[in-house]
Amino acid sequence: MIVIAEGIHVIAKTVNDAIKSRDKKPIQDLARAQAEAGADYIDLNVGFVRKDTEETMQWIVNTVQEVADLPLSIDTMNPVAMEAGLKACKKRPLLNSASGKTDSKEQMLPLAKKYDCDVVISCINDKGMPPEADSKLDSIMNTVAYANELGIPNEHIWCDPIVLPASTAGTGQDHALATYEFIKILPEALPDIKSIVGLSNISSGVPVELRPLLNRVYLVMLDRSGLYSSIHDVLDEDIMKLCRGERQNIVDLIYRTWDGEDIDLSSLSQEEVNYVKTAKVLAGEVLYSDAWLEA
Amino acid sequence: MEYSAPVEAYTGIVRPMTIGKGAKAITIGGENILPFHFFDEGSSPNPPKFALEILDMEPYDWPDFLVEPYKDVISDPVKWAGRCEELGADAVCLFLKSTDPAEKDSPADQAASLTKKVVEALNIPVIVYGSGDDKKDAEVLPKVAEACDGEKLLIGPVLKENYAVVGKAILDHGHMAIAQTPMDINLLKELNVKLCHFFPAEKIVIDPLSPALGYGIEYTFSLMERIKQLGVISKDSMTQMPMIANFGGEVWKTKQAKESKEQGLLWEGMTAMCLLLAGANILVLRHPDNIKLVKETIGGEIWQK
Repeated sequence: MIVIAEGIHVIAKTVNDAIKSRDKKPIQDLARAQAEAGADYIDLNVGFVRKDTEETMQWIVNTVQEVADLPLSIDTMNPVAMEAGLKACKKRPLLNSASGKTDSKEQMLPLAKKYDCDVVISCINDKGMPPEADSKLDSIMNTVAYANELGIPNEHIWCDPIVLPASTAGTGQDHALATYEFIKILPEALPDIKSIVGLSNISSGVPVELRPLLNRVYLVMLDRSGLYSSIHDVLDEDIMKLCRGERQNIVDLIYRTWDGEDIDLSSLSQEEVNYVKTAKVLAGEVLYSDAWLEA
Repeated sequence: MEYSAPVEAYTGIVRPMTIGKGAKAITIGGENILPFHFFDEGSSPNPPKFALEILDMEPYDWPDFLVEPYKDVISDPVKWAGRCEELGADAVCLFLKSTDPAEKDSPADQAASLTKKVVEALNIPVIVYGSGDDKKDAEVLPKVAEACDGEKLLIGPVLKENYAVVGKAILDHGHMAIAQTPMDINLLKELNVKLCHFFPAEKIVIDPLSPALGYGIEYTFSLMERIKQLGVISKDSMTQMPMIANFGGEVWKTKQAKESKEQGLLWEGMTAMCLLLAGANILVLRHPDNIKLVKETIGGEIWQK
């Protein structure tokens, strides 16, 4: 699986302050750690970059490139910032992201063609966010057709079904399953197109100490359905071990739970029990609550 | 071609619960079918119960036609409770409104002794609701539980902010708890999970909050429906509790209900019907005429199969 490191994000105060004061160190420390942790790409989530757009983008991209010999995923809604970012990249970057919204189709997709880079296309369109696997696919297919017409081949397109928080009352768990289903049916519907998710959103709104567990289990599930790439916290050692196939016992346990096997919890370690309980929540078998490990 | 209607048989059951002791007791819950799905296999052995609400202080914002049935006793909660029993209530729901710091902030001891008098005066069980102020309730409800030791009252609201203190007092004195969360299935489950670390699940009633018709009732309808489905179909142990719909305060503050007696009665009655269809097991009403109206509407015999 292609792993994209998240964390260089303007929402993080350290990153935001560093950009404002042009202080390379905090960003370079993070980028180095992400590269050492085994990231294949580094995501630069720079927001809209209203001020000094082009200069700021060049500075961020170069700051990271000075210490990490990895391709970058340029993550912004602002087409001007996107172009400046893509232009500054030494390695073939990932444009993250375009969508089925009219503005995005008209302003972002041509950039992917112009700079001959890979591009993430999300299932969002002018009507919003399609909730089910089929409607997500319909939306993506329209946008992909548009991209093909511009001369962007399927091989360059990574589809993002948009992961939503599992904890959202009533619908969160259904969304988690819809995304799983989408990843599974994608290769047949759109051959040669890759899949990508922003994984951590699955645990948005969840008590912070419990988030990694949901992220890990969901990644194992999506990986099983054929996921090509994930943007997540590469500094979580356990998730990277799972990505590298170093914890096959946990993977097996999650698969068995997902397949509906009635697993005897008394024979398991506390860590294993937690993985089973989390898999049951994400499989939609058990209703989510913040106390899911306590039940 | 002959058509045969599909018949479902579910394996989950809503835990039955008995409120009140001895001859006073009533039982709610116990169903293993969805609400009014009498065509499926299984039964709903305990028809919904109807409580009438009284306050521990004279209400100042009730329309005249709502006060009317209680006019001569409304300044005396014990007599008011007795009137509710005469008018056919299955239970009395005593709302300790005066203890609210935003009202009279009356002391816990006063609330406890009044509750005890009400309980002693009645031949039907008593439900007690604190003001909903989590800190004040943490003082008031334990005193109420202690004063009425062993009476098997239904006491709430038990909230995520005070469940440890309030839940413990309810358990120690042999009562039942109303676990209340603000219209969210995940929060509701979380509170039940945490409460059940020390409190038996069979002594919990769920209160998901019940808005009035026209004021968001569809949220509670979907929520109650989901709770019941999870309990009966999916056997989620943390949702297999009976549910209480307590909407008197919500209904009777609407301008529609206050406008005329006929409209007010229907507003409360329709709210009641909606929430019964969603799966409520016990309802708290304010107008006594609605007990008859709603009972007639849902029928009697059908519940006896």
